[in-house]
Amino acid sequence: MQPRDAVGDNIAARFTDRAIPFNEPRRYPFTQRTAAVIAAWLIPGAGHLVLGKTGRALLFFVTIVVAFALGLFLNGHLYWPTVADPPSMFHFDLITVLWFFAQIGSGLCYIGSYVLGLGTAPIPQAAASPTFEYGNTFMFLSGLLNYLVIHDTFDIAAGRKR
Amino acid sequence: MHLLMMSMYAAMAAVVLAAVDPKADTTRQRLIHGLKVFGSFLGIGLLLSWILFPIPW
Repeated sequence: MQPRDAVGDNIAARFTDRAIPFNEPRRYPFTQRTAAVIAAWLIPGAGHLVLGKTGRALLFFVTIVVAFALGLFLNGHLYWPTVADPPSMFHFDLITVLWFFAQIGSGLCYIGSYVLGLGTAPIPQAAASPTFEYGNTFMFLSGLLNYLVIHDTFDIAAGRKR
Repeated sequence: MHLLMMSMYAAMAAVVLAAVDPKADTTRQRLIHGLKVFGSFLGIGLLLSWILFPIPW
């Protein structure tokens, strides 16, 4: 039989080896991962909030929502894929598909604005504003940055980063 | 006006890109990365505008 002191040391060493360090990335359960990614798309930063990363959640929310709101304020336009005119080999006008893809990344910012009728003025009318292109650029930025944030949410939830 | 918009754009992009940087572990590293991104956006933007300015089309 081992002396009492030696056993105590071994037990302590075993616990030290098995314990997960505080800062180590961890894989979240499937439901929480899915909820985080969907929340991240709908509300910028909400995915990080679901995963308990409050500081980053707030930072992303403020940055992305301010970018989108600034875009609307500068008379940006909410794009939707339009049918090509004159007809082309693609059914849709490709540039409007890309612009729509960029903007829809901001989730409820886009959907909410559309429902409220913000940024939906006809393009010739909106384009008369000198800040029209600035506005569009900020709205594209907002959606595209949120795609990065969604990806970051997934990485954290999958245990690939902290 | 254009420089102000460019700076705001660069600042917003830098904040998010710094926060999602997978290599940065500490706040200090994220801050340094964000400042580099911000400076790169502004620097490259100004350089491109300087190069493209004389082109008439």
